[in-house]
Amino acid sequence: MSEHDDLDMQIAEFVLGTLPADERRALNARRLLDPAVDARVQQWEERLAGMADDVAPVQPGPELFAEIERVLDQQAAQSTQPDNTASVVTLRRQLNLWRWSTALASAAALVLVAVLTLQPASAPESFVAVFQHDDQQPAFLLTVDLQNRQLNIRPVTAEPQPGKSYQLWIKSDELGPNPQSVGVLGDQMQLDKGALKQYDPALLREATFGISVEPPGGSPTGQPTGPAIHGYLYPAGDGPSHGI
Amino acid sequence: MPPDSSTPKVEARSPSDATPEALSVANISTLIGRVAKQDRAAFAKLYKATAPKLLGVVLRILKERSWADDVIQEAYLKVWQRASLFDAGKASPITWLVSIARNKAIDELRKHPAGRTSTDDAMDERVARQPTTQDQMEDQQEVSKLNQCIDQLAKERQDMVRLAYLSGWSREELARQYQQPVNTMKTWLRRALQDIKGCLES
Repeated sequence: MSEHDDLDMQIAEFVLGTLPADERRALNARRLLDPAVDARVQQWEERLAGMADDVAPVQPGPELFAEIERVLDQQAAQSTQPDNTASVVTLRRQLNLWRWSTALASAAALVLVAVLTLQPASAPESFVAVFQHDDQQPAFLLTVDLQNRQLNIRPVTAEPQPGKSYQLWIKSDELGPNPQSVGVLGDQMQLDKGALKQYDPALLREATFGISVEPPGGSPTGQPTGPAIHGYLYPAGDGPSHGI
Repeated sequence: MPPDSSTPKVEARSPSDATPEALSVANISTLIGRVAKQDRAAFAKLYKATAPKLLGVVLRILKERSWADDVIQEAYLKVWQRASLFDAGKASPITWLVSIARNKAIDELRKHPAGRTSTDDAMDERVARQPTTQDQMEDQQEVSKLNQCIDQLAKERQDMVRLAYLSGWSREELARQYQQPVNTMKTWLRRALQDIKGCLES
């Protein structure tokens, strides 16, 4: 069976629900990164959807929607406040898929990236990106100070992986179609604060960032060999309701 | 196909006089489009029209009402966040919504396999394949074609596919039920899915 067929069957089992939990998690992450995989998931969802027609509807209790609205109200209120980790969730919808132009090696671990504004309107030149291993756990925090073009990256739950390096990438239309390496994180999971110095603040504002897991010392090809999700940096104070 | 399945789908009603159950595919798509623009009134309408369907699907997988309620809540929060990613060219709106809820339910079930008290009752449900007429949001022809394709499988494999899809049975649970090694179950399921795909494309 070819790799293509195998992936198709993996996706089919994912949609059916029988894919084992670890493969399921990986595919859940992968479909966020790879529009082609996501499209195939949707195709399988369409193929099998008819089975759900046999299921009788169940009227939800009146309190359920009230609770959903309460959470939305809460999120909306929080999004106008600084220092707001909850907007990681609300900002997730603002993620765009980073369409790496290179072929992706599937073995590399996934590191997902969300970008959110963490600063109040009084500090409009500072941005924070949260890099997530999965939907829940922040892996890295990246702070970008546009004025001084300084970056600060620190691991949250990410841990050094033996024989692997984390690599930070930047992508912008002005830089061409491919992501450019910002740098490879050192043993202490640190990166030179001035690594963004060469980039114009306006470019940084529009740019997207990603982290991939690479062989020691960084990608051998000059392009990410592992997939990543990216998000744009958002001007401070705009809040999550500010669409792309 | 049920005798009355040729009943025309309800189309082009104005939102104000449409009963929730009668919302057309186009109307649901429109609502999702408005939700993408943070329209809370549209979100309420979308919920009213689609939540019973989603809850039915989720409850059948999780069995526990409060657990299913939690998943529905998370699913609609996700719908609110991801509405802008909905692409009517790639997915039917109901399939898109049901998939978000179903996906979440199965994630939950795999995370907490002991959370569901029993799988026995799911066996009883497996043949409860009453073609529905109440759900006018789905394309009956597609349903019929899918069911025809599933019906072409060996009886055991029909049951496996439905138990997995409708009741969230894992490979291991199916392997126990059918007294087969888990790897055999994987092979059977994939063959069944391959056959379904081939049949749908024929």
